[in-house]
Amino acid sequence: MQPVDCPFESEVLAAVMEGRWPEATDDRLRDHASGCFICSDTVLVAGEIDNARREARVDVIVPDSTRIWWGAQLRARREDLQTASRPITAAQSIAGACAAGLLGACFGATSAWFQSALKWAGAGAGGIDVTDLIARHGALAAGVGAVLFLIPAAAWLALRRE
Amino acid sequence: MFREITYTDVSRSQAQDDVRGFVMDEEAFRSFYDRTARSLWLYLARITGDRHQADDLLQEAFYRFLRADAVHESETHRRNSLFRIATNLARDARRRRLARPEAGAEVEPAGGGFGNPEKAADLNRAMAQLKPRERELLWLAYAEGASHKEIANVLGLQPSSMKILLFRARRRLAVLLGREESTNAAR
Repeated sequence: MQPVDCPFESEVLAAVMEGRWPEATDDRLRDHASGCFICSDTVLVAGEIDNARREARVDVIVPDSTRIWWGAQLRARREDLQTASRPITAAQSIAGACAAGLLGACFGATSAWFQSALKWAGAGAGGIDVTDLIARHGALAAGVGAVLFLIPAAAWLALRRE
Repeated sequence: MFREITYTDVSRSQAQDDVRGFVMDEEAFRSFYDRTARSLWLYLARITGDRHQADDLLQEAFYRFLRADAVHESETHRRNSLFRIATNLARDARRRRLARPEAGAEVEPAGGGFGNPEKAADLNRAMAQLKPRERELLWLAYAEGASHKEIANVLGLQPSSMKILLFRARRRLAVLLGREESTNAAR
């Protein structure tokens, strides 16, 4: 199996990174690197990358630290305000869902059209008197439906991250 | 992003009243920023290939670093944390770019336009042919001088796999650079 490291690699790398390669490096190490592909790769790659970094660093312009700091402060404050207002939005959504459920229940209980539609549906429901079922338990069913479906859906919509 | 900031519109004294306390105070942050911003920008420019994106990601990385409110054991730990955040942001940006049909081919890593143009171009061309993770590995190892453990921490890899990964990445780049040299010599 091909070796993936060499005992002299770290010494060679240090010489390259400290700018001592090859002139200020001892002959032993230079002779070794010329015959070792791991060390010669290290010399080539580390040398090229380190040179590129040194040359490029001079020309890099980054924003002033003060600007970054105060920008972060303002942005954090803005996000905190948005987060703080989310429970209010969630409460409003839940209240809306409950109101919708209650209105649905009232409609079902009082609408003649709805009642006759249920009777028609009940006729094909294998003997179960759906109309009676709804009339007796309609409000409860609407409430359970709101709790099970509408409220979680409203809470998810309100609390989800944009 | 930093081009849009108009914090000067808000007087500093007013902002101080409402300031959100990060774990790091302003003086410590500015000192840390001055030590790391250039290196981080170069890293981002190299792995993304886009200087403008490096500008944006630099700001975002420092913001997320502050927002994380983490307590760090040492300067090295702090620096690793920052580079890890930046690496993840760059990867997310790359995924979003690739997911867009109009993005086309991945942007060729530049980080160039600096120093010796010819040498920079050789390295750029060679690094453009590497995988993103290989670019990250090599830059952290040889530009940042990070140890295997630090690199593994930043890139989310197992320290035990670093030796072989670095070996392969280095071998690939050495071959590519060798080809570039041959091409130049032949001209």
